[in-house]
This record gives sequence, C-alpha cells and structure tokens, in this order.
Amino acid sequence: MMKNPYLPLPMKLVKNFTETEDKLIHTFTLQFLSEEDEKSFPYMPGQFAELCVFGKGEAPFGIASSPTEPGFLKFSVAKVGTVSTALHMLEEGSIVGVRGPLGNSYPVEQFKGKDVVIIGGGFAFTTLRSLATYMMHPDRRSDYGKITVIYGARNPGLLLYKDELAAWEASPDIDLITTVDREAEGWNGRVGFIPSVTGEVAPSASNAHAIICGPPVMIKFTMPVLEKLGFTPETTIMSLENRMKCGIGMCGRCNVGGKYVCKDGPVFTRAQLNELPNEY
Amino acid sequence: MQAIAAQVKEAAKKLLEDKKVDLVVGFAEGSLPLRGTPLFARTPEEADQLTWNRGCENNLANFLRKREGKVAVVAKGCDVRSIVALTKENQIDRDNLYIIGVPCDGMIDRKKIGKLLGGKEVLAVEDQGDTIVLKGNGFSETAKVADLLHNSCIDCRYGNPVVYDALIGELMPEKAEEDFAEIKEFEAKTTAERRAFLAEEFSKCIRCYACRNACPMCYCTECFVDCSQPEWIGKSAADVQDNILFQAVRVFHGAGRCADCGACERACPMGINLRLLTRKLVKDVKVLFNAEAGVSMDDKAALATFTADDPEPFLVKE
Amino acid sequence: MIVSKKDIPNLLDKMIAEYDVLAPVKKDNFTVFKPIASGADAVLGEGNTKLPAKELFFPQSEKLFSYSVTEEGAKLDAPMDDKKKVLFGVRPCDARSLKLLDNVFDNDKFQDPYYLTRRANTVMVGIGCNMPSSTCFCTSVNSGPFDTSGLDILLVDTGDAYVVELVTDKGKALADQAGLAAASDADKTAAAAAKEAAVVTCQVNTDGLKAKLDVNFYDPIWEKIHEKCLGCGACTYLCPTCHCFDIVDDAVDCAGCRVRNWDSCAFPLFTLHGSGHNPRTSNKERYRNRIMHKFKYFVDNFNEIGCVGCGRCIKNCPVNMDIRVVLENIRGSEARLDS
Repeated sequence: MMKNPYLPLPMKLVKNFTETEDKLIHTFTLQFLSEEDEKSFPYMPGQFAELCVFGKGEAPFGIASSPTEPGFLKFSVAKVGTVSTALHMLEEGSIVGVRGPLGNSYPVEQFKGKDVVIIGGGFAFTTLRSLATYMMHPDRRSDYGKITVIYGARNPGLLLYKDELAAWEASPDIDLITTVDREAEGWNGRVGFIPSVTGEVAPSASNAHAIICGPPVMIKFTMPVLEKLGFTPETTIMSLENRMKCGIGMCGRCNVGGKYVCKDGPVFTRAQLNELPNEY
Repeated sequence: MQAIAAQVKEAAKKLLEDKKVDLVVGFAEGSLPLRGTPLFARTPEEADQLTWNRGCENNLANFLRKREGKVAVVAKGCDVRSIVALTKENQIDRDNLYIIGVPCDGMIDRKKIGKLLGGKEVLAVEDQGDTIVLKGNGFSETAKVADLLHNSCIDCRYGNPVVYDALIGELMPEKAEEDFAEIKEFEAKTTAERRAFLAEEFSKCIRCYACRNACPMCYCTECFVDCSQPEWIGKSAADVQDNILFQAVRVFHGAGRCADCGACERACPMGINLRLLTRKLVKDVKVLFNAEAGVSMDDKAALATFTADDPEPFLVKE
Repeated sequence: MIVSKKDIPNLLDKMIAEYDVLAPVKKDNFTVFKPIASGADAVLGEGNTKLPAKELFFPQSEKLFSYSVTEEGAKLDAPMDDKKKVLFGVRPCDARSLKLLDNVFDNDKFQDPYYLTRRANTVMVGIGCNMPSSTCFCTSVNSGPFDTSGLDILLVDTGDAYVVELVTDKGKALADQAGLAAASDADKTAAAAAKEAAVVTCQVNTDGLKAKLDVNFYDPIWEKIHEKCLGCGACTYLCPTCHCFDIVDDAVDCAGCRVRNWDSCAFPLFTLHGSGHNPRTSNKERYRNRIMHKFKYFVDNFNEIGCVGCGRCIKNCPVNMDIRVVLENIRGSEARLDS
C-alpha cells in the first residue's frame, strides 16, 4: 500500500501565542500525539507543512521549530486567509492536522565548515529560526563557522521570538543583529532597512553562505548588497513562497517555470532562480 | 456579407490611418468554418484581417471595459446594447469609443448545424445569403440560414444598433414584439418540475465560468463564487445546487442589465440552456418595469431607479 | 482476434458481470464516459467524448477522505476506489493522456493513491480513429490515430467488425477471458487498410517550438496572443492533460470531508498570494503558463509534450483561441490549418 500524502497527522495545539503588538502573527506549538507519529515526521530546517483546521481547510506554513527540539512542531502564522484566521481563533487543546514534512530544506550539509549569514525580514523569519536553532545545537555548533543573523522588522513590536533573541544576543555562538525600520521608543538597537544594515554589518563572503528570506522588496534591495560583499549566485540561498495547495507537485499552482516551489523548493540558490522566470 | 466585410475593413483602416483611434476591436476569420474570432487591430495592416460573417457571435462589448485611449468597435445590435448598458455603469467612456455599427439579422448556431447533420463535421461553408451550403467529407448540404440562427438572434428585436458613429450595411425593418413563449412554458411548470428541470440542466455544469467570462456585464472585481471569506458557495461542480445557485445569482445580478445577447449560452461548452434563466429575468424586467437593457442612452437602468409606482409583487402575497 | 460489431453489446454485458465497464454514452448532442448497465448503452465510434477520460481517474470532484475530530485526535477514513474496471471505447489520444498524467501523479517524490489505484485496476480498450476530425493534431504531438501507448487493447474498425490488437498482458488477459475468434488474414489486411486510410490532415509544426519557448518567456508576442482569451476554464477542464486542482474542506463543525476539485491556471485566484500579490497578474501570464506548461515545462520535466492533440480546446473555446494558431504564431510562421 503506497503512502497517502493527502492524509494529515492529527496533532494537539498546546500553545497559541502572540507576541507581536499588532497581534496578527501567532506562534503555534503543536504536540505529537504519539512517539510513532513523531517518527513519521522527520524534518529538516527549511521544510514546510500543510496545517489544517478541520472544517476550514489547509494551508502551507514553514516549520519554525528545529528537529533538535523533539516532541513538538512550531509554526508562526500571519492572519491572512481562511485557514490562518481559523488557526488564530483556535483554543489550546484543539486537534489540528499537519501534513508533511514537505519541500526541500536548507543545505545544512553544505554549510559544514563554513560561515553562515542568515538574513530575515518580517514574519518570513520562521524557517530561519529553525535553521539557526538547528546549527546552534551543542552537538552541531562546532560543524559550522561563524553564524551571523540579521533580522529586521518594521518596528520592535513586530519582532518574533523575543525571548530567544535575548538569549542569542547573550550567546557567544551567534552574532545577532536586530534592526527596525524607524526609531522607536525604548529601542536601543539598530535602525535601518535590511539592505543597508547588511551593508554596514558587512559579513565576510569568504567561505560563507547567505540565506535570505523576506518580503520581495527587501530581497530585491539586499541582493546587490550581498553581491557586492562577494556572495555568489551559488552561495546565496533563498526560500520562495508561492500559493500552494497539494504540497506534492501535482496541483499545479506554485510553479516557477518548470519547477514546483512545493516539491522542488522552497529552497533555491540564486543561481537556480536565475535560470527561472520571475513568477513569484 | 462579403460587401459588409469589405466596408468594415475600409472603415477600420481609415480610422487607424487617420489616427482617430488606437485600436479597432472586430472579428477576424476564425480557424473553423463559421467561426469568427475577436481581432484587436492596432495598425491598418492588422485591420486587413477584419471580416464579417455569420460566425461573428461574440459580444465584443466584453473587451471594451476600462480601455485606455481611443477605441473603435465593430458592433452588432446586441454588442451595442451591452455597450450602452456598460456606458451607464461607467465601464465605457462613450467619448473615447467609436462604434462601427453593423445591422445584424442573426448569427449561425453551430450546434444547430451539428443536429442537422447528425454530428457530421463541416469542413467548409458557402454563404449564399438566405441559404448556406455546408460541405464535409462526402457530403454537401444546403440549409436555410433562418433555420440555423441562434435562438437569441431569432428572439432579438434590436439587430439594428441603437447608437453608432458609422453604420455599415442597411438598417433592417423592425420585428414584432417578442412573445417569450418558452419562458411562459417554463413558468407554467410546477415548482417541482422546474426544480427537476434545473437540476438536470445544471448537472452538466463544470464550473468553468465561461458563461460569466463571456458576459460583458459580468465584471465584478471579485465574483461572489471566488470569494473565500466568507465562502458563499461551494466550488465543487458535483453539487448541482451550488451550480444552480451560482447561475441564479449571476442571472439576478444581470437583471435589467442583460441585453439577452446569448453570449453566456454560446460560451457554455456543456450546452446548458442558460438563456432560459437570463431571459426569464429579461421578461420580468419588461413586464414589471417596462424596461429593456441598453436600448437607449437616455433611460436609466431599470433596477438603478426607483419610482413610487414601481410594482412590488414580491412584497405582496399573491 | 476479431469481434463483430453486433456482438459488442453481448461482449460488454459479459464484462459488466465482472467489471465496472465505462464507455461513451449519449448525453444531449455529445457523448460522455459513464459506467454502463447494459452493453447496448455504449455509443462507440463517435468522435471524442465531451469530457476527457482523465475524469474517470481524476474526477472533477473527489472526496479524499472523511474525518471526525474529537478531543483526543482525529479519525480519518480514506477509501480507495479499487474496483476492477474496463474503459471501453476510449480514443488513443485520451489513453495517451493518461500515460502523460502518470508522470504527474507518480512523480519523483510522491504518489497519488487515488489516481494510481484507479489506473492500476482499469483495463484500457481503445478504438482507433478511422476518421480523425479536422481539429485532431495527434500526429504533431508524437501520437496518432492508432497510437497504442496508453492502451491495453486496440480495436481497429474494419466496417462490420473490430480487429483486436493486444498491446499488454493486461489486455491479453481480458481478451482471453472474452474468448474471441481469431482474425483471418483478410481481417488483418482490412485492419491495415483502415489504418492506412485514416489520415490526420491537420499538422502543427512543432519543430523548434521547444527551443523557442526556452527563450521567449519575456517575448512581447505574449501580449498579443492572450488578448481575446476570456480567462475561463473551458479549455483546461476539457483538456485531457490539464491536471490542476484545489483542495477544500466540506464540513460541518468537526465532521466532514476533504475534497479535491479541478482548478485552472486560467483563474486569477489560482496563484493569488495571501498578501494580495499575484505572480500571474493577468491573462497574459496565465495563458503563457498554459502554453509553457504543455510545451516546455512538461518536456523539461518528463521529456514528453503535455498535449495529445485531441482538439477539444479548439472546438470548445468560446472565442476560438486555437492552440494550433497560437503555436504557429509562437514559432513565428504561418499556420497550416488545411483540412
């Protein structure tokens, strides 16, 4: 009997939490119902899953937790559509469905022995949190060189994972730079857009990979900065978002050229994307 | 027809040559017999492809909404009615539209040909005015054009464009009042019979929305069937009730705006009798408000006006 | 082997005892595939059915599973349609379309059990096309009126009988069960003659088309091509190789089912992001995607053109968007649509 890729795994919503001041992004912690279920869901940073609220439907979201955090999955979801709205309103203890893991992942094997620069803007930071958490795990930290994280939001109130950011700030394992678009009361960190901040921080491109996720306009203006710093199309990695449904390369909607974001991505190098049309 | 085609071409070329318009929307010869296809001509050379024949069945008003620049259109009576209705809805700027009106006594329904020939394929036609010769592999059959026209064309009393900037061909004599015979027949059925009829008809619907997209009046930025929050209607074509609901809402939305051009029914790949519904509303609007869509630039659309003596039969228990 | 046309109803009746037999039946002025209760209901030898054979394996609307959710978990029930079926009277182009769709539903990473279960349990009995329609261009897309690539059995119409050609073991097993008479040399000659006489007049030159599509994504020609397209889904829904779908819930509270419905790249909603951004904003991008998908992406991914030349999109387009003309325009040469 072949595996049915359409069947979701029931999971328990154990935490429905928002920390952004606009309350439009909630972070959901989902618990596996059994060890067997957990074993059936081996994932890596960068992958996504179809989250479903039974009765409302399913939608794809990047996995924000790291495989180094056993027992649960974490998703940070902005309220935009039917499913995300329903998710936001769910009570803790509810059963939801999770279908996955789907898509490819960040090439962490390739990162071994290299510096890694993680650049994220807005709520696209989710799978980057997974990646940073994965690489910072004590068992793995020594596999990688310097880890730099540049993370920006419109204002301080919109930053995600504030507790972890504070811990990272204090950690020697990671170089965290947070920035907000405009001066704000009580904000002592950097002020400026991601592209200019990236230029100021000027991470070395030598023996390094850059991974970048964020709104299209941020990507557009950060690319030339990375290029100037010496990151090549091969060492610049992006994660694409397109509307998806099946997540398994069949329903046809998320294609960029002949590649399906869901099945062949969502992680692509700039070099791969240069070969594809700009339909994302 | 050929003479008209030549005149259409000349008129369009002149408009483009004189830079009076940037674009002429008309018909070119299609790839199948008796099939015109919409053409967008921006140069006199492109306008050379314009034609006029019994297959120019699309309602070109559909391509005229919110256009930039000066546009000319080759328009039949029904196209013009829709243009008038769209102008009143501020979808078309009449000052920027040049109407090349062509009086039309009807377009040929290829489904009727299919029926006549028992499914044999027509490979070539010869238009002889009142008759037409249909030719295929090993056959040649002459048929009366009048027997092959779309039902919407047979019922049409506005073959003459109600407004135009140039007229090609001769205005035709007025037709008698329509009698809505098939609508009356439908109305005479019991509720259960009507329901059964609609269920059968809409079991064929595949929800391709060709009807909606072919309709010049269906231009909502977001059609209610596409709305996901709230989801007014299921998207599965397997649910006949949803298919009927989709069409019912579409038809009611067209009440007092629908020019009865039949574009929806012609577009339907599944051959659903959509005009039964659209025409029921055309009749109701006529009976209740003595109004017809798009027959005059001066009238206000029936459902966009209120008078104290509007009939309100739906408020009264009959 | 050979089977006389007058024996077909009987033959089908015998099959019905053991299989679900799907065959073209009359519906208004066209035919559609339906399960038949009697062999006499099958309408064989007409042109293509209105809806393509894909709907039998990938229905327009299909329940993927039902569910009921409690506080402890969710109970899912996903029944598979594993009935033994015979698809009788399918045209070679439609049969071939399923070979193409196999690539999609059994891709390098995932298998679609609904589609594949039906595929595995269906014997495909096709009838070759002695009289291809003027809109058929199968020979231009690596197929033909007697293409057996998607079939288990091919029937060749020789007038009063069908000469039976066994293509696969699955087909042979079905034919053995039916106990058909052997075809004489004369029958075989007649079958060969029928094949010879069937001429697909319509040719679409696809030479260099792929190479062109490899480089013309930003070509201004796309501005012109789509202009009359209404953006409806008629061509995609009637297309035997279009496979796009949507997945929705049909439920009241916590009990219900997940359903998949055909969807179309012609619709703006298909690619609309939650943010409001749409990577394919207008008909131009959407129509381009349809052409690219069939004639470039499908070739890139599966080394096959994603079109079988059945002509349904040509016959059913409300504005006569003719894919043959479109392809010719793309290639930059005159359309050859002689009949």
